[in-house]
Amino acid sequence: MTMIKLADKKGLSIFIGLLLLVIVVSLAAYGITGKMGIEERFTHAVGFVNMGEDEGGSGWFGLALEGSPLLYAFILGVLVVVCYAIYRHFSM
Amino acid sequence: MAHIHLEDGSFSLFFVVLWWITAIILVGIAVYLMRTEKKPNRKKITLAAFCTAAAFAIFQVSIPIFGGVHINLTPLIGILAGPAAGSLVVLIINILSAAIGHGGWGLIGANTLVNIVEVFVGYSCFRLLKSTIPDLFSRAGIATLAGLFCGNIMMIAIIIISGVQGVNQSTGQILTGLSLIAAVNMGVAVIEAFITGLIVAYIGKVRPDLLGVNDHD
Repeated sequence: MTMIKLADKKGLSIFIGLLLLVIVVSLAAYGITGKMGIEERFTHAVGFVNMGEDEGGSGWFGLALEGSPLLYAFILGVLVVVCYAIYRHFSM
Repeated sequence: MAHIHLEDGSFSLFFVVLWWITAIILVGIAVYLMRTEKKPNRKKITLAAFCTAAAFAIFQVSIPIFGGVHINLTPLIGILAGPAAGSLVVLIINILSAAIGHGGWGLIGANTLVNIVEVFVGYSCFRLLKSTIPDLFSRAGIATLAGLFCGNIMMIAIIIISGVQGVNQSTGQILTGLSLIAAVNMGVAVIEAFITGLIVAYIGKVRPDLLGVNDHD
């Protein structure tokens, strides 16, 4: 029991250590690149210009949906129909 | 959260085809292994289906951190569904994502390879560390960090090998830029590691059989 608790503590220590290391490195990288969206960050990294700025609006509380919401709804609808058809076909 | 956010035409046709074929071969092997199992593992197939739905949904949500990023849950897919079903799951997610304009069609192969690495490393670390780190939360968190780190390395390798069409940057400059992206991505991996750790710890408490914690593997 004690061995398991010790091992648990060891695991948690390693995890927290890794988290701290990653946070420091990523904050440093963020400081170098500055604030930009992921696609913008990519286009800058590989050397494209005037691209990668097609992010959606600010969304809800800063959480935005990537891609086209219209296509999202369309594909969701198609998937629902296809899944229902498959379900009906194989349930008989 | 490694994902190649470049548009169609960024890679030459040769590399688009190469990464597609490589991804199809790997997914084909995974499907073959699943089909040759003596008894179909319905529990794993159901888990894989849930993972596909959850990961696809979370893939599309841009979180307002570091200028807008998304998480993948790929190591969680590996931990729950295993590497074989997980490979198929990430292919489906990438196809559906491209269908709504998140990632190019030509990059599905490359992105699937990146995600397969995350799935495989996440799964392997979670299993290999079983005796060393019994605590599910830390083990899943470490496995997630390892998986996403390797995914980022794979992402950089694919872009460097393929080269990007229509830019004048040297390989060194692209490597520097991509390394910075990978470093920022790893910041998001912290959140993903935490989420994955919590999910796995919870599943371990209420349904330990789903994690195969009692398996002799």
